[in-house]
Amino acid sequence: MRYGFAIDQRTCIGCHACTVACKTEHDIPVGQFRTWVKYVEKGEFPSTTREMAVLRCNHCTDAPCVKSCPTQALFIRPDGIVDFDNELCIGCKMCMQACPYDAIYIDENTHTAAKCNFCAHRIDQGLEPACVQVCPTESIWMGDIDDPTSGISKFLSIEPVAVRTPEQGTKPNVYYVGADHTVLDPLAAPVKDTYLWAEPDPLRLATAAELPGDPMSMARTTLNTAHPRPWGWKVWTYLWTKSIAAGALLLGALLVLLTADRSSLVTIAAPLVAEVFLAITAILLIWDLKQPKRFLFLLDPRKINRKSWLAIGGIFLGLGAAIGGLWFLAGAADLLGVGDFGTVITVLAWPAIPAAVMVAGYTAFLFGQAEGRDLWQSPVLFWHLQAQAVMVGAGVLFVLSLFLTEDAATQRWLAWAMAAGVIAHLLITAVEFGGKHSTRNAQVAAHSITHGRYKKSFWGGSVLLAIIAGGIAIAVGLGAPIALGVLPAILVQVALVLHERVYVMAAQDPPLS
Amino acid sequence: MTPRDPESFIAPGPAASPVGSDRPEHHGLRVRETVSNYPPVDTWDDVMMYDAKAHPRKVEKHYMLVPTTCFNCEAGCGLLAYVDRETKEVVKIEGNPAHPGSRGRNCAKGPATINQTSDPERLLYPMKRVGPRGSAQFERVSWDDAMDDIAGRIRKAIMEERRNEIMYHVGRHGEDGFIERVLLAWGVDGNNTHTNICSAGARFGYTMWGGYDRPSPDHANANVILLLSAHLESGHYFNPHAQRIMDAKVRGGAKLVVVDPRLSNTASHADEWLSPWPGTEAALLLAIASYLLRSNAVDWTYVHRWVNWKTYLEKMHPHLDRNDFEAFKSALNEDYAKYTFEFAAQECRVPEAQVEKVARIVAGCNGKLAAHTWRAASAGNLGGWAVSRALFFLTVLTGSVGQEGGTSPNGWNKFIPHGPNMPGGHDSWNELLWPQEFPMATNELSILLPHFLLEGRGKLDVYFTRVYNPVWTNPDGFSWIEALSREDLVGCHVAMTPTWNETAVWADYVLPFGHSTERHDTQSYEQYAGKWLGFRQPVRRVALEKMGEKIGDTRDANPGEVWEENEFWFELSWRIDPDGALGIRQYFEAPGRPGEKISVDDYYGYVFDNNVPGLPEKAEKEGLTPMEYMRKYGAVEIVNGIYRQDERPLTDVELEGAVADENGVLRKPVNAETQKPLIGEPGAVGIEMDDGSKVAGWLTPSRKLELYSPAMEEFGWGDYATPTYIESHVHHSNIDVNKGEMLLVPTFRLPTLIHTRSGNAKYLNEISNKHPMWMNAKDADRFGLQTGDMVRVTTEIGYFVARIWATEGVRPGVTALSHHMGRWRTTDEAGSRWVTGKVDVGQMEDGRWRLRYKEGIQPFVSDDPDSMRINWKDPGVHQNLAFPVHPDTWSGMHCWHQKVTIERAHDEDKYGDVVVDTARSREVYREWMARTKPGPSASGLRRPMFMMRPVMPQLKAYYVDGVYPGA
Repeated sequence: MRYGFAIDQRTCIGCHACTVACKTEHDIPVGQFRTWVKYVEKGEFPSTTREMAVLRCNHCTDAPCVKSCPTQALFIRPDGIVDFDNELCIGCKMCMQACPYDAIYIDENTHTAAKCNFCAHRIDQGLEPACVQVCPTESIWMGDIDDPTSGISKFLSIEPVAVRTPEQGTKPNVYYVGADHTVLDPLAAPVKDTYLWAEPDPLRLATAAELPGDPMSMARTTLNTAHPRPWGWKVWTYLWTKSIAAGALLLGALLVLLTADRSSLVTIAAPLVAEVFLAITAILLIWDLKQPKRFLFLLDPRKINRKSWLAIGGIFLGLGAAIGGLWFLAGAADLLGVGDFGTVITVLAWPAIPAAVMVAGYTAFLFGQAEGRDLWQSPVLFWHLQAQAVMVGAGVLFVLSLFLTEDAATQRWLAWAMAAGVIAHLLITAVEFGGKHSTRNAQVAAHSITHGRYKKSFWGGSVLLAIIAGGIAIAVGLGAPIALGVLPAILVQVALVLHERVYVMAAQDPPLS
Repeated sequence: MTPRDPESFIAPGPAASPVGSDRPEHHGLRVRETVSNYPPVDTWDDVMMYDAKAHPRKVEKHYMLVPTTCFNCEAGCGLLAYVDRETKEVVKIEGNPAHPGSRGRNCAKGPATINQTSDPERLLYPMKRVGPRGSAQFERVSWDDAMDDIAGRIRKAIMEERRNEIMYHVGRHGEDGFIERVLLAWGVDGNNTHTNICSAGARFGYTMWGGYDRPSPDHANANVILLLSAHLESGHYFNPHAQRIMDAKVRGGAKLVVVDPRLSNTASHADEWLSPWPGTEAALLLAIASYLLRSNAVDWTYVHRWVNWKTYLEKMHPHLDRNDFEAFKSALNEDYAKYTFEFAAQECRVPEAQVEKVARIVAGCNGKLAAHTWRAASAGNLGGWAVSRALFFLTVLTGSVGQEGGTSPNGWNKFIPHGPNMPGGHDSWNELLWPQEFPMATNELSILLPHFLLEGRGKLDVYFTRVYNPVWTNPDGFSWIEALSREDLVGCHVAMTPTWNETAVWADYVLPFGHSTERHDTQSYEQYAGKWLGFRQPVRRVALEKMGEKIGDTRDANPGEVWEENEFWFELSWRIDPDGALGIRQYFEAPGRPGEKISVDDYYGYVFDNNVPGLPEKAEKEGLTPMEYMRKYGAVEIVNGIYRQDERPLTDVELEGAVADENGVLRKPVNAETQKPLIGEPGAVGIEMDDGSKVAGWLTPSRKLELYSPAMEEFGWGDYATPTYIESHVHHSNIDVNKGEMLLVPTFRLPTLIHTRSGNAKYLNEISNKHPMWMNAKDADRFGLQTGDMVRVTTEIGYFVARIWATEGVRPGVTALSHHMGRWRTTDEAGSRWVTGKVDVGQMEDGRWRLRYKEGIQPFVSDDPDSMRINWKDPGVHQNLAFPVHPDTWSGMHCWHQKVTIERAHDEDKYGDVVVDTARSREVYREWMARTKPGPSASGLRRPMFMMRPVMPQLKAYYVDGVYPGA
């Protein structure tokens, strides 16, 4: 059984009755919508047309929101409805990143994720969803798509249908009949300064100039709803702090295994940096939750979704913290003369490497589950995160090394690590942004970074700073005064924060609806 | 599929199965597989619903479902209120499947009613003015004190024979027949309406044909639907009509032709969208008529039987034999031959090929042309009534009148039942409403009221504005402010309203009356080829009474002290005539219980028991009383599939005493005291046709469709007696684009809003909250303007400052600014903060009035957390303030379209500014008055007897000297 909608745009009059009936059924806060009507206008007078589409959750058979939800708050019912339980939601907004259709929002009353749930509470007592019930022209059809004898199946079998962005591979179960492609394609109709009876939100206005549009029809969106970026500065800052933590752990472990340096830099500072920045990372992540207290759900094996990289990532962060913690304790005990824990540290260094790699890299898989953000669906992201971790981790350790070790070899080693991280970061950035992205969504996002609103931050900030930092780091590695290394150590931090900011923002900019 | 490809065919979707047609709820109750749209009606007293918010946990809540009808637009769609059985509060509003018009479906405004009833800022108690008029200083007053004061004034005015100083001025009617009863009982000719800012123009054109003042297109069965309106998104009757228009398109393959200067949602669904220069629509329609005539695509049999063609020949071609139908055919063809496609194309500025294409579509309708115009062109232009006159001409020529899939008059599909002991006609004539300058005015000259008062034509002692906001909605609002500020002209202004508005600020009493879930009314509208009666009820009261609680009056069940009008008028009438000596109280006594005040149950019980055909039988079949039936279902269908009522044989009762005059019109004797019927001539009951059949016919003097209107000739307008084209005051020849002039269309409405009454519906506001001025991109380029640029828009009496939207959605030369927005308040207490900006309003040193925003719309703290989530800022531009009155010479309709001059805003201009010189207002008023031909007719008649006249007087009042000259 698989419930779905068929929306007949040939008869839809764009009256918004569905929008309002839904809002009164579910008591939805002002400014938020589970279903809404988008208007697009095309052509020149007098051959102007207005196209409409009723947009909402697609109740996908392969619902990326369900896969990505760390706490099983989103789930697919046996009847195919993609439903949610707001008491399980921690408010991480992962589902909003996973949904390629702008269907999910954080309800301002409950501070949990919400979306069209097919009025499952009504379905369970044999009643139509509120939008179907109210529609003046009976343009919203519902029923069991798996049952070939159902009305909706027959309807779909005789009409040409479309779904929204099928290339996302989510198998949507909301079908459109007679909908123009410019209204279903979120990139085809940029807003032109205003809506016809509302004000476009700042993000739509800001992104409009960078959308490809539809040159043939000059389509422009004249009514839509706001979908602000779910993730902001806490997330891009977290990417930086986590990189430092992972880099410190990784480079510390390598120093243990590859060098003879047993200064406090190696035995205490490296794991301490990892622990401190993991702690900051955790604070940022919990802070970003709309239900911060519910972060405890992530510690409950019965609650977590083992397919969600947000949940899995938590385990790696915990693993990294555990190894770093033991290492630090061993180093501290050693320093305080409790005993010789050098061997323990060496033993810990081995698992620290894969743990650090995963602390840095799990985000690639997490971002990979953000099906709505094509820029993040990058095969090189995992390696990019490693390079970034090395770059900024080396920078932090380098500065500490000036105080904690007298071994110039270690310092030059760290300078070389920094240089290597920067070079790898730049090379991967070149690969990332030099080629063409496979989807239009990613192309739009990448273009805004390299040629659009973010180009100054990107080129002048992230790239240029990284190049300068890399150059100086190489010089230090080759023998320039050690103290000069402080400069790149700081520059790489700035470069990475700028990079992450641009990367996180730009990917969330292309409209999905 | 391209929407405008006429060849495109929309395959029908699978219909859900309705419930058995023997059930009253069969109109809209449906089942798809195992899922239905509503719980079965028989369970409505206790419906278990799972709590949506607790989902997926199964938390059961119990509701009583009580039907009512929507009070937002005039469609009167069915609603169903969910009353929580535990908290006894109304929590949600859905549609009523048992309502034959709306069939369980609604537009956005239906469910949004819950926003209006739970608005934290709503008016809950009667308020009395304490500062100067307009200072917006009010204090709470008891209903008793307010009513004693108001009733005392009315009593005094009646006793002193100052009845014409009592006036009831209604915006949204939302009811049929009740206020008429009250005013007739008082003997007061004081029924003023909003109609001449609304539909008086269209009504005139329709009236001249058949007496009935509005059309009832049978959209569902049409082959061609021709709309000069936006009936898929606004207007009467948006939701019921949209359902049926789309049914016809999908299931019947009907062609949809939409005529509108801007791209409406309706136009976007059209097979053909024509965008003629506003005001030229009649030229287009007459070109189609001409094509029908010359291509002989005319139902001559129908024309021969039902059109007054002999009169046409006699008056237009006196040299021809008045009985020669063939001569008539060729004369008519020749008379309209000048309306060529080329002429229409030039006049309307649309492609000639498109005119021809549409003409061919109409010609192919096969007697199934559903055509509708209501406001739009007829409301915008001098002579706009010629548009509806021409449109109905097409209905007549194609033989679509009253046919299945054609267009009937509203009277065949509307039903007004009256209560017990209906008062008869009064003997007064209020010239503030029906001035001599406009003998043919379709409706009251309400736009002129402030001018009449200010120039000393009369004064008002008690003036009720009821769900009406003329300061905002009417043209020339500053003149309204000037008149309403004068206590010597308006003694006591009582604003009866569910919500604060701009006019209420100039009232002495602001009385809170209920929304759709808080009051009783009956309503019936022509929405398809049937008749229904809807019953509005105070749902919480009904639920509480069903649950066994004792309710004194509806205030006990409504929020605060919000009342319903029925009980208010009963009570007020008793206070006007406490001992019955004035003869008023008798009409407000319970039937069968003299001396006892009538209750709403008494009133509607009587109506349903006695005056609704078939209702007692339907109720009995259900084991209910008629009242119980209406409380349960909220509506009843009286008849369905009703056509060709012109051919309805007269009953013996109708024929008794009726004698045919020389034209076959069957008349009964009348005298000076006979009350004029609502429409039609007193005494006339029908017509004896040439074949001897005695049938109802039409409500014109000839009882036929009047291609030639003798009434127009009688009042001096013989040149306009036939369908014709009148150049509008905003004709393109009057607009010089090189001087920056444009035509402003200020009337178009949005699907989510209702005039100024939806401002407090947050779910509607968040969808529509801005109104940029539409301007074709080419025009914008010409002015060097871009979207968002501020312009000063100068009218005849002042200017306003708006922001433009460069769009392809409106024709060049025409700019359009939507209705609804430009809302303001002067204080935080008296005005809705959801939708209004705070303004300074007053006169400047030079005497001109200015309105200027001090604050836009901002979030505010209230019991509703959503008020802090307001994310819209722009209150809009109150453009109507800058429009002078433009009373149409014939119909009295305010001609809304404006010739304006556009320029970039001046340095001193602020967005939303409106500046007006009311001295200029008065001049323009006089210019338009000078166009009229005042009555009476040669026989002393004030206005044509057959035209609709609410609160019908006795015949003698129809004569200026008060003497009925006899039959």
